[in-house]
Amino acid sequence: MTLLSIFNDTATDAERQWLDTKLAAATPAKLAAFVAAPRFIARRNVPGIPDWTMDQLARVLLITSLPTEPEDAYVKAIQTLFDTAELYEFVALYSALPHLTYPGRWLFQATEAVRSNMGPVFDAIAFGNTYPADYFPEAAWNQLVLKCIFNDKPITQITGLDQRANQTLANDLSNFAHERWAAGRTVPADVWQLIPRFMNETLLADVKKLAQSPDERDRLAAQHVIDQTDYEPAKRLSVTR
Amino acid sequence: MNPSHAEDENVSPAALPVAETPFDYPAYIQGMRFFDPHIHMTSRTTDDYQAMADAGIVALIEPAFWLGQPRTGLATFKDYYSSLIGWERFRSSQFGIKHYCTIGLNSREANNVPLAEEVMELLPLFVYKEGVVGIGEIGFDDQTPAEDRFYRAQLELAKESGLPVQIHTPHRNKKEGTERSMAIALEHGLDPGMVIVDHNNEETVKSVLDKGFWAAFTIYPFTKMGNERMVEVVRQYGPNRIMVNSAADWGISDPLAVPKTAALMVMRGIPVEHIRQVTYQNAIDAFAQSGQINTADFADGLAIDQSQKFNGNTILRGGQQPRPDKHSVLIK
Repeated sequence: MTLLSIFNDTATDAERQWLDTKLAAATPAKLAAFVAAPRFIARRNVPGIPDWTMDQLARVLLITSLPTEPEDAYVKAIQTLFDTAELYEFVALYSALPHLTYPGRWLFQATEAVRSNMGPVFDAIAFGNTYPADYFPEAAWNQLVLKCIFNDKPITQITGLDQRANQTLANDLSNFAHERWAAGRTVPADVWQLIPRFMNETLLADVKKLAQSPDERDRLAAQHVIDQTDYEPAKRLSVTR
Repeated sequence: MNPSHAEDENVSPAALPVAETPFDYPAYIQGMRFFDPHIHMTSRTTDDYQAMADAGIVALIEPAFWLGQPRTGLATFKDYYSSLIGWERFRSSQFGIKHYCTIGLNSREANNVPLAEEVMELLPLFVYKEGVVGIGEIGFDDQTPAEDRFYRAQLELAKESGLPVQIHTPHRNKKEGTERSMAIALEHGLDPGMVIVDHNNEETVKSVLDKGFWAAFTIYPFTKMGNERMVEVVRQYGPNRIMVNSAADWGISDPLAVPKTAALMVMRGIPVEHIRQVTYQNAIDAFAQSGQINTADFADGLAIDQSQKFNGNTILRGGQQPRPDKHSVLIK
Protein backbone atom coordinates (compact mmCIF):
# COMPACT_ATOMS: atom_id res chain seq x y z
CA MET A 1 0.00 0.00 0.00
CA THR A 2 1.37 3.39 -0.94
CA LEU A 3 0.82 6.39 1.32
CA LEU A 4 -1.51 7.84 -1.31
CA SER A 5 -3.71 4.75 -1.41
CA ILE A 6 -3.88 4.74 2.39
CA PHE A 7 -5.02 8.35 2.26
CA ASN A 8 -7.57 7.71 -0.47
CA ASP A 9 -9.04 4.73 1.38
CA THR A 10 -9.89 6.85 4.40
CA ALA A 11 -10.50 10.36 3.02
CA THR A 12 -13.92 11.77 2.21
CA ASP A 13 -14.71 12.71 -1.40
CA ALA A 14 -14.11 16.39 -0.66
CA GLU A 15 -10.77 15.65 1.00
CA ARG A 16 -9.61 13.46 -1.89
CA GLN A 17 -10.62 16.10 -4.37
CA TRP A 18 -8.81 18.85 -2.48
CA LEU A 19 -5.59 16.83 -2.29
CA ASP A 20 -5.78 15.73 -5.95
CA THR A 21 -6.03 19.36 -7.03
CA LYS A 22 -3.12 20.42 -4.85
CA LEU A 23 -0.92 17.48 -5.87
CA ALA A 24 -1.32 18.62 -9.48
CA ALA A 25 -0.49 22.27 -8.65
CA ALA A 26 2.81 24.17 -8.94
CA THR A 27 5.29 24.34 -6.07
CA PRO A 28 4.11 27.60 -4.41
CA ALA A 29 0.53 26.29 -4.28
CA LYS A 30 1.77 23.02 -2.81
CA LEU A 31 3.67 24.84 -0.09
CA ALA A 32 0.59 26.93 0.75
CA ALA A 33 -1.51 23.75 0.77
CA PHE A 34 0.96 22.19 3.20
CA VAL A 35 0.23 25.02 5.66
CA ALA A 36 -3.53 25.02 5.01
CA ALA A 37 -4.05 21.23 5.10
CA PRO A 38 -5.86 21.05 8.48
CA ARG A 39 -8.51 23.45 7.13
CA PHE A 40 -9.47 20.85 4.53
CA ILE A 41 -8.46 17.50 6.06
CA ALA A 42 -10.00 16.65 9.43
CA ARG A 43 -7.52 15.57 12.08
CA ARG A 44 -8.17 11.91 12.81
CA ASN A 45 -6.04 8.80 13.05
CA VAL A 46 -4.76 7.02 9.95
CA PRO A 47 -5.71 3.34 9.98
CA GLY A 48 -2.59 1.21 10.03
CA ILE A 49 -0.05 3.95 10.78
CA PRO A 50 0.21 4.38 14.54
CA ASP A 51 0.30 8.01 15.72
CA TRP A 52 -0.22 9.49 12.24
CA THR A 53 -3.18 11.73 11.51
CA MET A 54 -4.89 12.32 8.16
CA ASP A 55 -3.86 15.98 7.89
CA GLN A 56 -0.28 14.89 8.60
CA LEU A 57 -0.49 12.23 5.88
CA ALA A 58 -1.83 14.81 3.40
CA ARG A 59 1.08 17.10 4.26
CA VAL A 60 3.60 14.29 3.74
CA LEU A 61 2.03 13.52 0.35
CA LEU A 62 2.26 17.18 -0.65
CA ILE A 63 5.97 17.55 0.10
CA THR A 64 6.89 14.18 -1.36
CA SER A 65 5.24 15.34 -4.59
CA LEU A 66 7.53 18.37 -4.98
CA PRO A 67 9.80 18.34 -8.07
CA THR A 68 13.18 17.04 -6.87
CA GLU A 69 15.21 18.89 -9.56
CA PRO A 70 17.05 21.18 -9.28
CA GLU A 71 18.30 19.91 -5.94
CA ASP A 72 18.90 23.32 -4.34
CA ALA A 73 15.41 24.60 -5.15
CA TYR A 74 13.90 21.41 -3.73
CA VAL A 75 15.93 21.66 -0.53
CA LYS A 76 15.19 25.38 -0.16
CA ALA A 77 11.43 24.88 -0.49
CA ILE A 78 11.37 22.27 2.25
CA GLN A 79 13.81 24.24 4.40
CA THR A 80 11.43 27.23 4.26
CA LEU A 81 8.67 25.03 5.63
CA PHE A 82 10.93 23.97 8.50
CA ASP A 83 11.88 27.60 9.22
CA THR A 84 8.30 28.75 9.75
CA ALA A 85 6.73 25.51 11.00
CA GLU A 86 4.21 25.30 13.79
CA LEU A 87 3.94 22.25 16.03
CA TYR A 88 1.93 19.94 13.74
CA GLU A 89 3.85 21.07 10.66
CA PHE A 90 7.08 20.00 12.36
CA VAL A 91 5.55 16.62 13.08
CA ALA A 92 4.56 16.20 9.41
CA LEU A 93 7.97 17.36 8.17
CA TYR A 94 9.90 15.01 10.40
CA SER A 95 7.68 12.06 9.65
CA ALA A 96 8.26 12.77 5.94
CA LEU A 97 12.07 12.59 6.19
CA PRO A 98 12.39 8.91 5.17
CA HIS A 99 10.41 9.69 2.01
CA LEU A 100 12.43 12.72 0.86
CA THR A 101 15.09 12.81 -1.83
CA TYR A 102 18.74 13.70 -0.97
CA PRO A 103 18.54 12.17 2.53
CA GLY A 104 21.93 13.59 3.55
CA ARG A 105 20.64 17.16 3.23
CA TRP A 106 18.23 16.70 6.17
CA LEU A 107 20.71 15.44 8.72
CA PHE A 108 21.17 18.70 10.62
CA GLN A 109 17.45 19.41 10.62
CA ALA A 110 16.81 15.89 11.92
CA THR A 111 19.25 16.31 14.81
CA GLU A 112 17.48 19.59 15.66
CA ALA A 113 14.35 17.55 16.40
CA VAL A 114 16.35 15.48 18.88
CA ARG A 115 17.31 18.77 20.59
CA SER A 116 13.70 19.98 20.60
CA ASN A 117 11.87 20.50 23.86
CA MET A 118 8.53 20.08 22.12
CA GLY A 119 7.40 16.55 22.89
CA PRO A 120 5.57 15.84 19.62
CA VAL A 121 8.54 17.10 17.57
CA PHE A 122 10.98 14.82 19.35
CA ASP A 123 8.55 11.91 19.04
CA ALA A 124 8.20 12.47 15.29
CA ILE A 125 11.89 11.84 14.67
CA ALA A 126 12.35 9.25 17.43
CA PHE A 127 9.42 6.87 17.11
CA GLY A 128 8.38 4.79 14.12
CA ASN A 129 10.75 6.78 11.90
CA THR A 130 13.43 5.00 9.86
CA TYR A 131 15.51 8.13 9.16
CA PRO A 132 17.69 8.08 12.31
CA ALA A 133 18.58 4.41 12.01
CA ASP A 134 19.42 4.84 8.33
CA TYR A 135 21.36 8.12 8.43
CA PHE A 136 22.39 9.24 11.92
CA PRO A 137 26.12 8.94 12.73
CA GLU A 138 26.77 7.03 15.93
CA ALA A 139 27.07 10.09 18.20
CA ALA A 140 23.73 11.51 17.00
CA TRP A 141 22.09 8.11 17.34
CA ASN A 142 23.33 7.77 20.90
CA GLN A 143 22.00 11.24 21.78
CA LEU A 144 18.61 10.24 20.44
CA VAL A 145 18.46 7.11 22.58
CA LEU A 146 19.85 8.78 25.71
CA LYS A 147 17.51 11.74 25.44
CA CYS A 148 14.60 9.36 25.04
CA ILE A 149 15.61 7.54 28.22
CA PHE A 150 16.29 10.79 30.07
CA ASN A 151 12.78 12.01 29.25
CA ASP A 152 11.15 8.74 30.37
CA LYS A 153 9.96 7.90 26.89
CA PRO A 154 9.77 4.32 25.58
CA ILE A 155 12.92 3.42 23.63
CA THR A 156 11.17 0.31 22.32
CA GLN A 157 9.31 2.60 19.88
CA ILE A 158 12.60 3.59 18.20
CA THR A 159 13.11 1.93 14.81
CA GLY A 160 16.45 0.12 14.48
CA LEU A 161 17.17 0.04 18.20
CA ASP A 162 18.85 -3.34 18.18
CA GLN A 163 20.83 -2.94 14.92
CA ARG A 164 22.27 0.42 16.00
CA ALA A 165 23.22 -0.62 19.55
CA ASN A 166 26.92 0.01 20.18
CA GLN A 167 29.64 -0.11 22.82
CA THR A 168 29.69 3.65 23.47
CA LEU A 169 25.96 3.72 24.04
CA ALA A 170 26.17 0.76 26.43
CA ASN A 171 28.89 2.56 28.41
CA ASP A 172 26.88 5.80 28.39
CA LEU A 173 23.89 3.90 29.75
CA SER A 174 25.95 2.58 32.62
CA ASN A 175 27.12 6.09 33.48
CA PHE A 176 23.58 7.38 33.24
CA ALA A 177 22.32 4.63 35.55
CA HIS A 178 25.03 5.39 38.12
CA GLU A 179 24.00 9.06 38.17
CA ARG A 180 20.34 8.17 38.58
CA TRP A 181 21.05 5.66 41.34
CA ALA A 182 23.27 8.17 43.16
CA ALA A 183 20.37 10.65 43.07
CA GLY A 184 17.98 8.08 44.54
CA ARG A 185 16.11 7.83 41.24
CA THR A 186 15.31 4.81 39.08
CA VAL A 187 16.25 3.69 35.56
CA PRO A 188 13.59 2.25 33.24
CA ALA A 189 14.23 -1.50 33.02
CA ASP A 190 13.84 -1.73 29.25
CA VAL A 191 17.07 0.20 28.63
CA TRP A 192 19.15 -2.85 29.58
CA GLN A 193 18.20 -4.61 26.37
CA LEU A 194 20.87 -2.41 24.74
CA ILE A 195 23.83 -3.98 26.56
CA PRO A 196 24.06 -7.80 26.07
CA ARG A 197 26.47 -7.57 23.09
CA PHE A 198 28.72 -5.04 24.81
CA MET A 199 29.30 -6.46 28.29
CA ASN A 200 32.40 -5.54 30.29
CA GLU A 201 33.30 -5.43 33.97
CA THR A 202 31.43 -2.22 34.69
CA LEU A 203 28.26 -3.44 33.02
CA LEU A 204 28.65 -6.78 34.78
CA ALA A 205 28.47 -4.97 38.13
CA ASP A 206 25.31 -3.19 36.94
CA VAL A 207 23.68 -6.46 35.96
CA LYS A 208 24.58 -7.96 39.36
CA LYS A 209 22.83 -5.02 40.99
CA LEU A 210 19.77 -5.49 38.79
CA ALA A 211 19.71 -9.22 39.55
CA GLN A 212 19.22 -8.39 43.23
CA SER A 213 16.84 -5.45 42.76
CA PRO A 214 13.59 -5.43 44.76
CA ASP A 215 11.86 -4.38 41.52
CA GLU A 216 10.78 -7.40 39.48
CA ARG A 217 11.22 -5.49 36.19
CA ASP A 218 14.92 -4.99 36.99
CA ARG A 219 15.35 -8.70 37.74
CA LEU A 220 13.63 -9.61 34.47
CA ALA A 221 15.94 -7.20 32.64
CA ALA A 222 18.96 -8.86 34.27
CA GLN A 223 17.68 -12.30 33.22
CA HIS A 224 17.27 -11.02 29.66
CA VAL A 225 20.90 -9.85 29.58
CA ILE A 226 22.10 -13.16 30.98
CA ASP A 227 20.09 -15.07 28.37
CA GLN A 228 21.29 -12.94 25.44
CA THR A 229 24.96 -12.26 26.16
CA ASP A 230 28.03 -14.23 25.10
CA TYR A 231 30.04 -12.68 27.95
CA GLU A 232 30.92 -15.67 30.16
CA PRO A 233 31.08 -13.90 33.57
CA ALA A 234 27.55 -12.60 32.99
CA LYS A 235 26.22 -15.99 31.88
CA ARG A 236 27.23 -17.42 35.25
CA LEU A 237 25.09 -14.89 37.20
CA SER A 238 21.84 -15.92 38.79
CA VAL A 239 18.84 -13.73 39.47
CA THR A 240 17.20 -13.47 42.90
CA ARG A 241 13.72 -14.99 42.85
CA MET B 1 -15.14 37.05 54.96
CA ASN B 2 -16.06 33.88 53.10
CA PRO B 3 -18.91 32.69 50.88
CA SER B 4 -21.05 31.43 53.75
CA HIS B 5 -20.98 34.86 55.37
CA ALA B 6 -22.17 36.44 52.16
CA GLU B 7 -25.16 34.11 52.16
CA ASP B 8 -25.86 34.45 55.91
CA GLU B 9 -25.98 38.16 56.20
CA ASN B 10 -28.95 40.09 55.09
CA VAL B 11 -27.14 42.71 53.00
CA SER B 12 -26.70 43.09 49.29
CA PRO B 13 -23.43 41.58 48.07
CA ALA B 14 -22.55 44.86 46.38
CA ALA B 15 -22.38 46.60 49.75
CA LEU B 16 -19.85 44.19 51.21
CA PRO B 17 -16.31 45.47 51.50
CA VAL B 18 -13.67 43.28 49.87
CA ALA B 19 -10.67 42.42 51.98
CA GLU B 20 -7.39 43.21 50.23
CA THR B 21 -5.47 40.72 52.35
CA PRO B 22 -5.34 36.98 51.49
CA PHE B 23 -8.81 35.85 50.81
CA ASP B 24 -10.49 32.72 49.51
CA TYR B 25 -11.85 34.03 46.21
CA PRO B 26 -11.59 30.65 44.40
CA ALA B 27 -14.52 29.44 46.50
CA TYR B 28 -16.76 31.78 44.48
CA ILE B 29 -15.79 30.39 41.08
CA GLN B 30 -15.59 26.67 41.79
CA GLY B 31 -16.24 24.69 38.62
CA MET B 32 -16.26 27.76 36.34
CA ARG B 33 -14.19 27.78 33.13
CA PHE B 34 -12.40 30.82 31.78
CA PHE B 35 -10.94 31.94 28.47
CA ASP B 36 -8.35 34.74 28.66
CA PRO B 37 -8.31 36.30 25.17
CA HIS B 38 -5.23 38.45 25.75
CA ILE B 39 -2.18 37.30 27.71
CA HIS B 40 1.54 37.25 26.86
CA MET B 41 2.66 33.88 28.13
CA THR B 42 6.19 34.08 26.72
CA SER B 43 6.78 36.58 29.56
CA ARG B 44 5.29 34.36 32.26
CA THR B 45 6.55 31.46 34.36
CA THR B 46 5.44 27.87 34.76
CA ASP B 47 4.08 28.84 38.20
CA ASP B 48 1.66 31.14 36.37
CA TYR B 49 0.52 28.36 34.06
CA GLN B 50 -0.17 26.08 37.03
CA ALA B 51 -2.04 28.81 38.92
CA MET B 52 -4.08 29.66 35.82
CA ALA B 53 -5.07 26.02 35.26
CA ASP B 54 -6.00 25.72 38.95
CA ALA B 55 -8.16 28.84 38.71
CA GLY B 56 -10.16 27.38 35.80
CA ILE B 57 -8.49 28.95 32.75
CA VAL B 58 -8.86 26.35 29.99
CA ALA B 59 -7.78 28.36 26.93
CA LEU B 60 -6.06 31.62 26.07
CA ILE B 61 -5.00 33.85 23.21
CA GLU B 62 -1.48 35.26 23.05
CA PRO B 63 -1.34 38.31 20.79
CA ALA B 64 1.96 39.14 19.12
CA PHE B 65 3.39 42.31 20.65
CA TRP B 66 6.70 44.00 21.37
CA LEU B 67 9.15 42.51 23.81
CA GLY B 68 9.82 45.53 26.01
CA GLN B 69 12.53 46.77 23.69
CA PRO B 70 12.58 47.13 19.93
CA ARG B 71 13.75 44.31 17.68
CA THR B 72 16.51 45.17 15.25
CA GLY B 73 16.08 42.52 12.58
CA LEU B 74 13.58 40.46 10.67
CA ALA B 75 14.86 37.13 11.95
CA THR B 76 13.89 37.94 15.54
CA PHE B 77 10.35 38.68 14.38
CA LYS B 78 10.27 35.35 12.57
CA ASP B 79 11.53 33.45 15.57
CA TYR B 80 9.05 35.22 17.85
CA TYR B 81 6.10 34.34 15.61
CA SER B 82 7.42 30.78 15.36
CA SER B 83 7.61 30.52 19.14
CA LEU B 84 3.95 31.55 19.45
CA ILE B 85 2.84 28.66 17.22
CA GLY B 86 5.50 26.24 18.42
CA TRP B 87 7.18 26.14 21.77
CA GLU B 88 4.74 28.35 23.70
CA ARG B 89 1.79 26.40 22.32
CA PHE B 90 3.39 23.17 23.49
CA ARG B 91 4.44 24.62 26.86
CA SER B 92 0.85 25.68 27.51
CA SER B 93 -0.51 22.25 26.57
CA GLN B 94 1.68 20.68 29.24
CA PHE B 95 -0.38 22.56 31.81
CA GLY B 96 -3.70 21.57 30.26
CA ILE B 97 -4.37 25.00 28.71
CA LYS B 98 -5.22 25.38 25.01
CA HIS B 99 -3.06 28.10 23.45
CA TYR B 100 -4.11 30.23 20.48
CA CYS B 101 -2.44 33.35 19.17
CA THR B 102 -2.96 36.40 17.01
CA ILE B 103 -0.20 37.48 14.65
CA GLY B 104 0.64 41.03 13.71
CA LEU B 105 3.07 43.92 13.72
CA ASN B 106 2.56 45.95 16.89
CA SER B 107 2.12 49.71 16.73
CA ARG B 108 5.39 50.67 18.44
CA GLU B 109 7.58 48.72 16.06
CA ALA B 110 5.56 49.96 13.08
CA ASN B 111 7.60 53.14 13.53
CA ASN B 112 10.78 51.40 12.28
CA VAL B 113 9.58 51.70 8.70
CA PRO B 114 12.27 49.72 6.81
CA LEU B 115 11.94 46.81 9.24
CA ALA B 116 8.15 47.08 9.31
CA GLU B 117 8.07 46.73 5.53
CA GLU B 118 10.02 43.47 5.79
CA VAL B 119 7.73 42.22 8.56
CA MET B 120 4.68 42.87 6.37
CA GLU B 121 6.15 40.48 3.80
CA LEU B 122 6.68 37.87 6.50
CA LEU B 123 3.18 38.01 8.01
CA PRO B 124 1.34 36.01 5.30
CA LEU B 125 3.59 33.04 6.12
CA PHE B 126 2.16 33.00 9.63
CA VAL B 127 -1.45 34.22 9.53
CA TYR B 128 -2.70 31.05 7.85
CA LYS B 129 -1.16 28.75 10.46
CA GLU B 130 -3.35 26.48 12.51
CA GLY B 131 -4.51 28.10 15.75
CA VAL B 132 -3.91 31.66 14.55
CA VAL B 133 -7.24 33.24 15.44
CA GLY B 134 -6.70 36.82 14.34
CA ILE B 135 -4.48 39.68 13.25
CA GLY B 136 -3.22 41.31 16.42
CA GLU B 137 -2.44 43.20 18.39
CA ILE B 138 -2.36 46.09 15.98
CA GLY B 139 -3.44 49.72 16.11
CA PHE B 140 -2.02 52.94 17.46
CA ASP B 141 0.55 53.88 20.08
CA ASP B 142 1.78 57.42 19.29
CA GLN B 143 -0.62 57.76 16.38
CA THR B 144 2.17 58.52 13.89
CA PRO B 145 1.83 58.32 10.08
CA ALA B 146 3.87 55.08 10.08
CA GLU B 147 1.48 53.50 12.59
CA ASP B 148 -1.43 54.57 10.41
CA ARG B 149 0.16 53.03 7.32
CA PHE B 150 0.89 49.62 8.81
CA TYR B 151 -2.41 49.46 10.68
CA ARG B 152 -4.21 49.92 7.37
CA ALA B 153 -2.01 47.36 5.61
CA GLN B 154 -2.80 44.80 8.29
CA LEU B 155 -6.53 45.49 8.10
CA GLU B 156 -6.28 44.57 4.45
CA LEU B 157 -4.42 41.39 5.39
CA ALA B 158 -7.21 40.56 7.85
CA LYS B 159 -9.82 40.97 5.15
CA GLU B 160 -7.86 38.86 2.72
CA SER B 161 -7.33 36.05 5.23
CA GLY B 162 -10.83 36.25 6.71
CA LEU B 163 -9.44 36.66 10.21
CA PRO B 164 -10.74 38.77 13.12
CA VAL B 165 -8.72 41.82 14.18
CA GLN B 166 -7.52 42.48 17.73
CA ILE B 167 -6.97 46.21 18.17
CA HIS B 168 -4.66 47.68 20.78
CA THR B 169 -5.88 51.14 21.77
CA PRO B 170 -3.31 53.69 22.98
CA HIS B 171 -2.65 54.72 26.57
CA ARG B 172 -2.35 58.37 25.61
CA ASN B 173 -5.21 60.11 23.80
CA LYS B 174 -7.18 56.91 24.27
CA LYS B 175 -10.58 58.23 23.27
CA GLU B 176 -9.29 59.82 20.10
CA GLY B 177 -7.14 56.77 19.28
CA THR B 178 -10.06 54.40 19.79
CA GLU B 179 -12.39 56.43 17.60
CA ARG B 180 -9.75 56.71 14.92
CA SER B 181 -9.00 52.98 15.00
CA MET B 182 -12.68 52.15 14.52
CA ALA B 183 -13.19 54.75 11.79
CA ILE B 184 -10.27 53.38 9.78
CA ALA B 185 -11.50 49.80 10.18
CA LEU B 186 -14.90 50.84 8.83
CA GLU B 187 -13.25 52.83 6.05
CA HIS B 188 -11.45 49.64 4.97
CA GLY B 189 -14.74 47.80 4.85
CA LEU B 190 -14.27 45.56 7.87
CA ASP B 191 -17.35 44.13 9.55
CA PRO B 192 -17.27 45.52 13.13
CA GLY B 193 -18.37 42.04 14.25
CA MET B 194 -14.92 40.83 13.14
CA VAL B 195 -13.07 43.46 15.18
CA ILE B 196 -12.21 43.27 18.88
CA VAL B 197 -11.31 46.67 20.32
CA ASP B 198 -9.09 46.12 23.34
CA HIS B 199 -8.16 48.05 26.51
CA ASN B 200 -11.49 49.86 26.79
CA ASN B 201 -12.58 51.90 29.78
CA GLU B 202 -15.71 53.69 30.95
CA GLU B 203 -15.01 56.50 28.50
CA THR B 204 -14.73 54.41 25.34
CA VAL B 205 -17.11 51.48 25.85
CA LYS B 206 -20.37 53.08 24.79
CA SER B 207 -19.13 54.21 21.40
CA VAL B 208 -17.46 50.84 20.72
CA LEU B 209 -20.62 48.87 21.49
CA ASP B 210 -22.88 51.34 19.67
CA LYS B 211 -20.84 50.89 16.49
CA GLY B 212 -21.15 47.09 16.68
CA PHE B 213 -17.54 46.24 17.64
CA TRP B 214 -16.54 43.81 20.39
CA ALA B 215 -15.35 45.62 23.53
CA ALA B 216 -12.49 43.98 25.42
CA PHE B 217 -11.38 45.19 28.85
CA THR B 218 -7.96 44.64 30.32
CA ILE B 219 -7.79 44.20 34.08
CA TYR B 220 -4.27 45.43 34.79
CA PRO B 221 -3.16 47.11 38.00
CA PHE B 222 -2.43 50.85 38.05
CA THR B 223 -2.48 51.58 34.30
CA LYS B 224 -5.64 49.97 32.91
CA MET B 225 -8.95 48.79 34.41
CA GLY B 226 -9.45 47.69 38.00
CA ASN B 227 -11.91 44.85 38.44
CA GLU B 228 -14.31 46.75 40.70
CA ARG B 229 -14.80 49.19 37.83
CA MET B 230 -15.26 46.21 35.50
CA VAL B 231 -18.12 44.86 37.62
CA GLU B 232 -19.92 48.18 37.24
CA VAL B 233 -19.36 48.27 33.47
CA VAL B 234 -21.03 44.87 33.10
CA ARG B 235 -23.82 45.92 35.45
CA GLN B 236 -24.44 49.02 33.34
CA TYR B 237 -23.96 47.67 29.80
CA GLY B 238 -24.88 44.02 30.23
CA PRO B 239 -22.81 41.10 28.90
CA ASN B 240 -23.27 41.39 25.14
CA ARG B 241 -20.06 41.78 23.08
CA ILE B 242 -18.00 42.49 26.23
CA MET B 243 -14.99 40.38 27.21
CA VAL B 244 -12.44 40.54 30.02
CA ASN B 245 -8.71 39.81 29.72
CA SER B 246 -5.52 40.17 31.75
CA ALA B 247 -3.01 41.31 29.11
CA ALA B 248 -0.50 39.96 31.64
CA ASP B 249 3.06 40.42 30.33
CA TRP B 250 6.48 41.41 31.64
CA GLY B 251 5.05 44.35 33.58
CA ILE B 252 3.31 44.29 36.96
CA SER B 253 0.22 42.44 35.88
CA ASP B 254 -1.94 39.52 36.99
CA PRO B 255 -2.42 36.30 34.98
CA LEU B 256 -5.40 35.51 37.23
CA ALA B 257 -7.19 38.76 36.40
CA VAL B 258 -10.02 36.97 34.57
CA PRO B 259 -10.92 34.45 37.32
CA LYS B 260 -10.47 37.11 40.03
CA THR B 261 -12.82 39.44 38.18
CA ALA B 262 -15.34 36.62 37.78
CA ALA B 263 -15.17 35.99 41.54
CA LEU B 264 -15.76 39.66 42.27
CA MET B 265 -18.72 39.63 39.90
CA VAL B 266 -20.22 36.65 41.75
CA MET B 267 -19.74 38.46 45.08
CA ARG B 268 -21.34 41.61 43.75
CA GLY B 269 -24.39 39.97 42.30
CA ILE B 270 -23.75 39.82 38.56
CA PRO B 271 -25.80 36.90 37.14
CA VAL B 272 -23.70 33.78 36.56
CA GLU B 273 -24.73 33.58 32.89
CA HIS B 274 -23.50 37.14 32.33
CA ILE B 275 -20.19 36.28 33.98
CA ARG B 276 -19.86 33.23 31.73
CA GLN B 277 -20.37 35.40 28.68
CA VAL B 278 -17.80 38.06 29.56
CA THR B 279 -15.12 35.69 30.90
CA TYR B 280 -15.53 32.78 28.46
CA GLN B 281 -18.16 32.62 25.74
CA ASN B 282 -17.91 36.03 24.07
CA ALA B 283 -14.19 35.69 23.45
CA ILE B 284 -14.81 32.29 21.86
CA ASP B 285 -17.65 33.62 19.70
CA ALA B 286 -15.54 36.55 18.50
CA PHE B 287 -12.33 34.67 17.71
CA ALA B 288 -13.96 31.42 16.52
CA GLN B 289 -14.90 33.42 13.42
CA SER B 290 -11.34 32.54 12.37
CA GLY B 291 -12.46 28.91 11.98
CA GLN B 292 -9.52 27.98 14.18
CA ILE B 293 -11.19 27.34 17.54
CA ASN B 294 -12.66 23.93 18.30
CA THR B 295 -14.22 24.13 21.76
CA ALA B 296 -14.03 20.34 22.09
CA ASP B 297 -10.27 20.85 22.56
CA PHE B 298 -10.77 22.52 25.93
CA ALA B 299 -14.43 22.54 26.99
CA ASP B 300 -13.90 19.60 29.32
CA GLY B 301 -11.20 21.52 31.10
CA LEU B 302 -8.43 19.66 29.27
CA ALA B 303 -6.40 20.79 26.32
CA ILE B 304 -5.13 17.31 25.62
CA ASP B 305 -5.41 16.52 21.95
CA GLN B 306 -6.57 12.93 21.63
CA SER B 307 -4.51 12.51 18.47
CA GLN B 308 -1.43 13.18 20.58
CA LYS B 309 -1.94 10.09 22.68
CA PHE B 310 1.01 7.85 22.36
CA ASN B 311 0.11 4.65 20.48
CA GLY B 312 -3.42 4.98 21.78
CA ASN B 313 -2.42 4.45 25.39
CA THR B 314 -2.55 6.99 28.16
CA ILE B 315 1.08 8.02 28.04
CA LEU B 316 0.82 11.45 26.52
CA ARG B 317 3.30 12.60 23.95
CA GLY B 318 5.38 15.21 25.64
CA GLY B 319 3.55 14.46 28.85
CA GLN B 320 1.90 16.65 31.42
CA GLN B 321 4.28 18.49 33.69
CA PRO B 322 4.71 16.91 37.12
CA ARG B 323 3.71 19.01 40.12
CA PRO B 324 6.31 19.76 42.76
CA ASP B 325 5.02 20.56 46.25
CA LYS B 326 5.43 24.35 46.36
CA HIS B 327 5.18 24.49 50.15
CA SER B 328 7.90 21.97 50.84
CA VAL B 329 11.42 23.16 51.64
CA LEU B 330 12.66 19.94 50.05
CA ILE B 331 13.30 19.99 46.31
CA LYS B 332 13.45 16.47 44.90
